[in-house]
Amino acid sequence: MTRRLIVYPAMALICLASLFPFFWMIVTSLKPDTEIFTVSPQFIPHEPILSRYTELFSGAIPRQFLNSLLVAGATTVITGLIALLAGYALARFDIPMKRYLLIVILSIQMLPQTVLVIPLFVVLRNTDLLGTYQGLVLSHLALTVGLATYMLRSFFMDIPVSLEESAMVDGASRMKAVRLVVFPLVWPGLAASSIYGFITSWNELMFSATYMQQSSRETLPVALQQFFSSYYSDWGGVMAASVIFTIPVVVFFLLVQKRLMQGMVAGAVKG
Amino acid sequence: MTSTTSRRAQRGVVPARAGGRSRSRWDRFGLPSLLLAPLLAVILGVVGYPIVRTVWLSFHEGEYLMTGAFNGADNYTEIFGDPYFLAALLRTTIFAVVCVVTTLLISLAIALVLDAGSWAARIVTVVVLLPWAMPRVASGIIWKWMFNDQYGIANWLLVSLGFDSFKGYAWFNDGFASLVAITIAVVWHSVPFIAISMLAGLRATRGEVLEAARVDGASFYQQLVRVRLPMMKPLLTILGVMSTIFAYQSFDHFLVMTTPPGGPSHSTEVLSLLTWLQAFTVLDQGVAAAMAVVTFLLLAGITAVYVKLSKEGT
Repeated sequence: MTRRLIVYPAMALICLASLFPFFWMIVTSLKPDTEIFTVSPQFIPHEPILSRYTELFSGAIPRQFLNSLLVAGATTVITGLIALLAGYALARFDIPMKRYLLIVILSIQMLPQTVLVIPLFVVLRNTDLLGTYQGLVLSHLALTVGLATYMLRSFFMDIPVSLEESAMVDGASRMKAVRLVVFPLVWPGLAASSIYGFITSWNELMFSATYMQQSSRETLPVALQQFFSSYYSDWGGVMAASVIFTIPVVVFFLLVQKRLMQGMVAGAVKG
Repeated sequence: MTSTTSRRAQRGVVPARAGGRSRSRWDRFGLPSLLLAPLLAVILGVVGYPIVRTVWLSFHEGEYLMTGAFNGADNYTEIFGDPYFLAALLRTTIFAVVCVVTTLLISLAIALVLDAGSWAARIVTVVVLLPWAMPRVASGIIWKWMFNDQYGIANWLLVSLGFDSFKGYAWFNDGFASLVAITIAVVWHSVPFIAISMLAGLRATRGEVLEAARVDGASFYQQLVRVRLPMMKPLLTILGVMSTIFAYQSFDHFLVMTTPPGGPSHSTEVLSLLTWLQAFTVLDQGVAAAMAVVTFLLLAGITAVYVKLSKEGT
């Protein structure tokens, strides 16, 4: 009983700490300036306004939103494909030096981005990909493929090999057996690595700020950072832009959170 | 845990002769190479080559993002004679240590609360992970707003609790106070992943050993410190090193929350920010590459410790 007296208040505190910044961001974006700049905070807006959102939507935000969606979407799909193939190979075959390959794959995750940002700038400039979507997607793959492959490999390892063996004994080729028997079972893993890839790419700032200089190709993190540094006293507007930036990831996250947690936990516990 | 993994690995390898037809050679070499080719291409192209190139650049002059003449170790002697770089190195290290310790302690507390279990724990688990999904740029902006001097909720809370000196306190006018605010924002962002992983680790310790300890009358604290945490040692090592590396790489929060980036007067410059500014604002990529290499070696050292410790754990 005493335990409950600790656990429930603690849970309430945890929820408050987790959710308050979200709540405060939304509330601030809905308040008129007179209610934002008050000495004691106003937790519920008296006269909520939506004008900040309509203003943002008539500006550059829809374009930047699409840019981000395009880059994050492409990164997600390509990461998923690469990780699916490689994850299968690493789970099922005796590959020479597999141990070292796995260490390399995991170490990519530990690389400081600053090591990559300068040479990739040069590479993209030399290949005329600087400031293009393709270039940015390419740079984002460096951040996503490692962990995605590792996650999918652990999902493949959980699928009994006897399933594809029996399909192969029945005369199916390996590719066919994999396509019909194994891939349908590995969907949760694909969902987990996809959301990981999407969030990574959607949130990424350093590469995006460096490579996407042209304003029509700017992605949301860059646009938001610049908006913030030039209009930082317009807190309501900045909060509204942050809400627009945050909503897609949170929605995507809530849709697949169960799978994602399985994947992350598998990565952490087995890793 | 280890024995299951290795058993799984053995079970996971398809005998080359499976299916009986003469496709063993293709199955053993051709197919896996084909499947791994895209991954290897990405690793070599956008990770391997850039690393080599950065190391190469660090030994060359590189003003205005053009590669100049070979200049030996000049870039390295320059950065190690640069008080701003040395200060950033020290500052990043202290920042990382504080972040990691706070993150691990808060995460453990959250994991224990969730592990105590109840009908609500499932929902709270989702809530806990939510901050991880918020873009770092957005969370930096929100925390900067909450630490606003006149209208910030943090100062209001502190004043209401009786700390009157925080009335109108300007957190971002001072390097140390800025770092405190940034640390809170970064910890808020990094706790979710660590807490959920720890929860999984705690759940895996349930079983006979823990039951025996409970029957023997071990207190909650004894169970945790003598039984559960030692069982979780490999996981804790991994999480510790992962969060150290993430803290060392913090960039977004610093770029967003400090004005000018790294200010006031260089007092919040950390390695990643300094390197990036050196490359793309000062436009000296040779020196920036040297800074990147130093960071890389530092993190490689930490990763090596991680590989070694996690091997010892098994």
